Amino acid sequence: MATISSVQLPNSDELVSRDSIRQRASLVKQSVLVTVGLGTSLAILVLIGVILVKGIPAINWEFLSSPPVEGMSAGGIWPMIRGSLLLMLGTLAIVLPLGILSGIFLAEYAGHSRFGNVVRGCVMALAGTPSIIYGLFGLAVFVLTLKMGISLLAGWLTVSLFALPMIVLTADTAIRAVPDSLVDASMALGLSRWQTIWKVVLPNALPGIISGIVLTTGRAAGEAPPILFTAGIYYSTAKLSNDWSALKQPVANLPYHLAEGYRQGGVIPEKIIWGTCLTLMGMVLLINLGAILLRSRMRWKSSLS
Amino acid sequence: MESLVYIAGGITLTVIVAVAYYLAHESRYAFDRTFTYGFRVALQPTSGTFEKDLSLDPNASILTAHTEGADGPDEKEEGITMPSLETLKGSATVATGTALSGEFSAAQNSQELYRDDWRGAKTAKAGDKFLVYAFATPEFVGDKMALAWGPDQEADPRLAPYDFHLKLVRGPEGKPLPNIDIDLKSNRSGKVEVPVYIAQTDADRTKGYVFELSAVPSASQAASTMAGLAKSEWGPTMAHPRYGFIPLLLSTLMMTVIALLVAAPIGICAALYVSEVAPRKIREFLKPIIELLASVPTVVLGYFGLMMLAPSLVKIIPEAAGMQSGRAMITAALMMSVMLIPTIMTLAEDALRSLPGTFRDGGEALGLTKQETIKRILVPAANAGLISTLMFAFARAVGETMIVWILSGGSPKMPSALRDVFGPTRGMADTIAVEMGNVAFEEQHYGHLFLLGMVLFAITLVINLVAFKLKRNSWQQ
Repeated sequence: MATISSVQLPNSDELVSRDSIRQRASLVKQSVLVTVGLGTSLAILVLIGVILVKGIPAINWEFLSSPPVEGMSAGGIWPMIRGSLLLMLGTLAIVLPLGILSGIFLAEYAGHSRFGNVVRGCVMALAGTPSIIYGLFGLAVFVLTLKMGISLLAGWLTVSLFALPMIVLTADTAIRAVPDSLVDASMALGLSRWQTIWKVVLPNALPGIISGIVLTTGRAAGEAPPILFTAGIYYSTAKLSNDWSALKQPVANLPYHLAEGYRQGGVIPEKIIWGTCLTLMGMVLLINLGAILLRSRMRWKSSLS
Repeated sequence: MESLVYIAGGITLTVIVAVAYYLAHESRYAFDRTFTYGFRVALQPTSGTFEKDLSLDPNASILTAHTEGADGPDEKEEGITMPSLETLKGSATVATGTALSGEFSAAQNSQELYRDDWRGAKTAKAGDKFLVYAFATPEFVGDKMALAWGPDQEADPRLAPYDFHLKLVRGPEGKPLPNIDIDLKSNRSGKVEVPVYIAQTDADRTKGYVFELSAVPSASQAASTMAGLAKSEWGPTMAHPRYGFIPLLLSTLMMTVIALLVAAPIGICAALYVSEVAPRKIREFLKPIIELLASVPTVVLGYFGLMMLAPSLVKIIPEAAGMQSGRAMITAALMMSVMLIPTIMTLAEDALRSLPGTFRDGGEALGLTKQETIKRILVPAANAGLISTLMFAFARAVGETMIVWILSGGSPKMPSALRDVFGPTRGMADTIAVEMGNVAFEEQHYGHLFLLGMVLFAITLVINLVAFKLKRNSWQQ
């Protein structure tokens, strides 16, 4: 408030001229913000554009549908795409019910009590925990202690742990954004607390919850550290079996392929690397786009009813 | 149904405890470590020409407790026996040998004497004794000879949980025994003179001076492990491994700070623009673009940096500044800042948007320009929110793995000068990712990687919790 007391009361002429100086200075500084804002967006478009331009020449149906040959130096990346999809689907199956239920717990039952905020702080801290820590945890607990070995199952559990806190947070936010008036009205109609959650709160919070889940799943699908020592394997010709024993096998997948490809150093030709990068990025972007579309469609639907 | 909700909440809480518990649990292997150490000893004449460098002296004895060693002669000692007078003729006038047992009685038969003694590394609970036999050949001229000693290769006796002593335990018959007892921790290398003992026959070689190198447990292994962490060298695959966390910690912090210095102004300005200045239509268009970047996987960003950013940095920064391959601290830090921009922008925009509209109206009512409103009212009011934004970004950068793995150049080095910014480096998270791939599970290196993970977890946990507290205290709530 010091700014106000420092303003003297000048005569009106002075006020006008000083005003115009201030306005001009304001415009200059504002143009900095405009430049940075637009420049950043432009740079991002360029970055994504470069990946697109470099990656597209590598991509064709054969690249996406056939396994690598000649020690990764040629061929496609289908086994890695399949592995990434498998990892993602399993993660979704675990995270979907747990994330929503925990979100309800946090928003409706733990609420704004001291306990609730402690839990919320912990969940937020977990959401900000580096993914490599989850990789270590998965290695210690699932791979070694529970003797699952480096396997699809261990990968599912590890990636789920990584994704869960972020999903709980978004679910919590979405549920708490539902207006109290709706809840009060439902209670006034004599619905139980659980009925209120099930019939009133959840349908309203669903667009937010779903988009949170999908965005997080996309992010998790692109993360290499959690699956580095729990699920990944550099592509081998060993076939992934078609029955439940596949759960016990490691899977080749896109982030691991890129990470391990770097470790091996120069085995994968640049063109294939760009193609793999684009495929991975494209997969995540498509998922995110799906989330945005789903959200807007649900909003539109709920606005009709 | 309701109980399900409680179960889910319980699971979430359990996870936090479990992560901390299991990281700590696996770190125990770092404290179970067996210590390696090693010394070279050699007998030298006191005059004339001789090899002064122990590591080049062909007759120096290596006494070492080593991860590759084994009790009893292994392939390292097999065939390398204590030199006989015949083999020494013409090449050296003094030599040492050792018995593969610390006991005199086992060393009576000179057939069992070797030049070196390699043993398995011991835990701090057990001591070690090496016996060194010292003799001169009949060709020796002079009346004194000297026993010189020094640490073997990169072994550092100060890191070991032992006290080391070099003691003269027996002298030749009929001569007075000089009192020699040297503390090898305070005198890591040096020499001591004794009256000459000349072996006339091969059987005489063991009848002269016998020195004893003993390792007596002095500190607990836990204390020693902790002391080792504070060292400035990370070299887990060295013959005498080093597990100093400091270079990794410092490099990570430097990269994070550089990344934040670049990303914070850009991210916050972009947030100010999007939330305060941009017209609605442009805002609706820009926000998704910036958030698009958040969905580019970090491994892809790493490769982008490797194939696009690194080559151009090599061109811009002169080699004289220390830039060589393009894989350097600065490259990793810059790419990390690209990763941070959408994070900072989204969180900062949330913090600004949560300010009540009355603040903006108030600014206008006071006759302030838009820029003055931003600078004097909105930014100060959103201060706590903005700081918590930067803290979240800091935690994110500290834990970033793939970008640093691909771009840092991968050599763990203590950053000491400004030019190290342009040199290769290695951070904490990427060290875990790189090395866990080829480590023996449940051994000391494995334990140290978990310990490193715990340090990382603790750092991010504290920062995130403080940031959360700040955010809650800000206008957002």
